[in-house]
Amino acid sequence: MASLLCYAHTESSQAVKAPVKVPMDGGKPMDPSTDANAHSADAAPRPWWIGFAVIAIGAFWLYGASLLQLGSTHAKVGPGVFVMMTGGGLVLLGLILLVQIARGARFETQESEDADGNQPADWKAFGTAVLAASLPLYTMERFGFVATAGVMFALIARAFGSRRLLLDIVIGVALAAICWFGFSKLGVDLGRAWIVPKLIDLVPRFSFT
Amino acid sequence: MDTLTLLLKGFSVALQPTNLMFCLIGTVLGTAIGVLPGLGPALTIALLLPVTASLAPESAFIMFAGILYGAMFGGSTTSILLNTPGESGSMMTALEGNKMAKHGRGAAALATAAIGSFVAGTIGTIGLTFLAPYVAELAYLFGPEDYFALMILSFTSVAVVMGSSRVRGFVALFLGLALGVVGIDSQTGQARMVFGNPELMDGIQLTIVLVSLFAIGECFFVASRFSNAPPAINPMSGGATMTREDWRRSWKPWLRGTFIGFPIGALPAGGSEIPTFLSYTIEKRLSKKPEEFGHGAIEGVAGPEAANNAAAAGILVPLLTLGLPTSATAAILLAAFQNYNIQPGPELFQNNPALVWSLIASLYIGNIMLLVLNLPLAGVWVRLLLIPRPYLYAGIMVFALIGVWGISRSWMDLLIMVTLGLAGYVMRVYDFPIAPVLIGLILGPMAETQLRRALAISQGNPLGLVNTPLSAGIWLCAIAAFFLPLLMDRLKKSA
Repeated sequence: MASLLCYAHTESSQAVKAPVKVPMDGGKPMDPSTDANAHSADAAPRPWWIGFAVIAIGAFWLYGASLLQLGSTHAKVGPGVFVMMTGGGLVLLGLILLVQIARGARFETQESEDADGNQPADWKAFGTAVLAASLPLYTMERFGFVATAGVMFALIARAFGSRRLLLDIVIGVALAAICWFGFSKLGVDLGRAWIVPKLIDLVPRFSFT
Repeated sequence: MDTLTLLLKGFSVALQPTNLMFCLIGTVLGTAIGVLPGLGPALTIALLLPVTASLAPESAFIMFAGILYGAMFGGSTTSILLNTPGESGSMMTALEGNKMAKHGRGAAALATAAIGSFVAGTIGTIGLTFLAPYVAELAYLFGPEDYFALMILSFTSVAVVMGSSRVRGFVALFLGLALGVVGIDSQTGQARMVFGNPELMDGIQLTIVLVSLFAIGECFFVASRFSNAPPAINPMSGGATMTREDWRRSWKPWLRGTFIGFPIGALPAGGSEIPTFLSYTIEKRLSKKPEEFGHGAIEGVAGPEAANNAAAAGILVPLLTLGLPTSATAAILLAAFQNYNIQPGPELFQNNPALVWSLIASLYIGNIMLLVLNLPLAGVWVRLLLIPRPYLYAGIMVFALIGVWGISRSWMDLLIMVTLGLAGYVMRVYDFPIAPVLIGLILGPMAETQLRRALAISQGNPLGLVNTPLSAGIWLCAIAAFFLPLLMDRLKKSA
C-alpha cells in the first residue's frame, strides 16, 4: 500500500507527455520546460474537494447497498455485496486521494488538441457550454428536437468564440432539421421534431418520472 | 474446418459489394475522425450504434473495423504534419515525425507511417487469424473463478496502465463499476441504486456514459481553455518520398514494432502507450544514428506506428475470444455485440463463424484501402482541420445529443449526460483517465456474475476464487500488473 501512495505524477513521464507547442508563424518551438518550471514554482494547489467528492459518491453507494440483502441462502452472495464493494472501494480510494493531496500530489491538466492546459479557465465560455448541454433538460420535451439542437448548436458556437448568434441559430436549426430527417430515415426515432408548446407546459416540473 | 477455409469464407462475405461499401465508409470516416480533434474511434462507433441497428451485424462490424484502423492512420497524419497527437498511441510518432516534416521530409514520414501501419496491421491480422481460434478453444476450459480472475487482471491493468497515477486509475475504474450496478440485478431481479426511477431500471447504457465523458466532457474542457490557433500545416514541399535509405532504415523497425505491439495488445493489459513507447526506446538503442533521435529519425516513426497498429489488432484477440475489452474502443465494440444479442467469447467462433471471419477478412481489406486512401491523399485529409472550431464542436455536440436522445428518448438520459459531462470535465482538469470508467461499466456486471457463480460453487468460501492453477496464476499476473508503473518509470528514465 505504501508504494500505491507514493506513486504520483513523475517528472519524467510529464516530459514525454507534453507535446512541444509550435507557434503559428512556424518559428522555433517554445521550450515547454519554461512553462513547467513556472508552474511548479507556485505552491501546489490542494484540491481537497476531489477526495471528498469521491468519498461522498462511495458513501452514496454504501447507502444504496444498505437497502439490499447482502446474503442469500443458496447463492451465498446477495445483490448488495457488489454494490457494497464498489462503494467501499470508492471511500477507500477517496481517503488515499486525500492523503496524496496532503502530500502535495500534482494534478496536471490534460493536454487536448485545441486546448491549452496551462491557461486559466474561461468561466464564461465554460458556463455557456454547460448551459447549452443543460438546455435539452428543459426544452427537449416542450419544443422538440429541432429547436433544442439548433439553439444548443448556437450556444456552443458562442462558447467557442462565434459572435454571430442569429446566423448560428439558423445554421443550427438547419443542421438539426437535416439530422432529424436523415436519422428518421435510418430508423432512429428522435421524438417530435417541432412542438409549439402551450403556456401551461412551460412551467418546469421537478419530477423524475 | 481449418482456419484457412474459414478465412476464405469470411472473404467471400466481406467482398460482397455492400460490405465493401461499408468497409470503405468505415475507413474514410475513421481517417476523417482520426484527423479531426474531439472525435475518436470509440465515440464515433458509439454515435453510429443507433444507426446500425437495422444493418446486418456483419456489415456493421466491418464498418466499425474500418473506423478502428482508419482512426489510427488519420491520427498519425496529424501528429506528423501538425504535431497534435490525437491519442496516446501517436505521441511517439509526433516526436520524430513532426521534426521530419519540419525538415521538409513530411512525405517520407507519412509514407513510412502508412506503410508501417499497413505491414503491422496485416501481420497483426494474420496473428489474430491463427491465434484467436486457439484462445477460443482454451477459453472453453475456463470456469467462473478463472473468468473472474481474468477480469480482475483486466481491471488492474487498465487502471494501472491508462493513467498517470494508479489511484486515479482505480477511482475511474470504481466509478465505472458503481455505474454498472445501477438497475435490475440480473440474478435476483431486484432493483439496485434506482430509488424509484423507472428510467434507471434498465441500467446506465455504455453509449451514454461514453458520449458524455468523451464528447460533452471534452467540449466543456476545450471551451474553458480554448486556444484559437489556426492549424499550422507543415509544408509538404521538397518532400521527397522515401529514399532507398529510408526503406533500408524502416523495414526492421516495422517488423520489430509489430512483434512488440501485437502481443502487448493481445494481453488483457492492452493499451497502445506501452508498446509504442517500448518500440521507440528499442529503435533508439538499436539505431546506427542515435544522434538523429529528437531531430527526425525515421526509425522513430516507423517502429512506434507499426507497434500502434499491431496493438490494435492484438486488442481484438481478447475481445473476440474472451469477451474482454481492454480499451475504450473495445468496450464500445463489446456493447455493439451485445446490441445484436451476441456475446463475444468462445461460443462466438462456434455460433457465428460468418460474422467473426468476415470481420477478420475485412481487416485485411481495410488495411489495403487505408494504404490507398492515405499515401496520396494525406494533404487532402489535413484540410479537414480548416473547419472553423466553433462549428466543429457545436456539430459534435448536436451528434452527441442525437446519440443520447436517440437511444430511448429519456429525460433521465439527458440528466446523466450533463452530470457525466461535468465529471468528464473534472477528470480532464485533474488528470483522471477516462477509459477505465468504460471498462468498469461494461465488465463490472460480468465480473459480478462470475464472482457470484464462483462463490456459489465454493459454498461461499473465498478461497474458491483461486482454487484452480489457472485462476491463481492470473491473480499473480494481476498483482504483477499492479507494480508495472515502477518498471515503466525506470524505462522512461533510462530512455
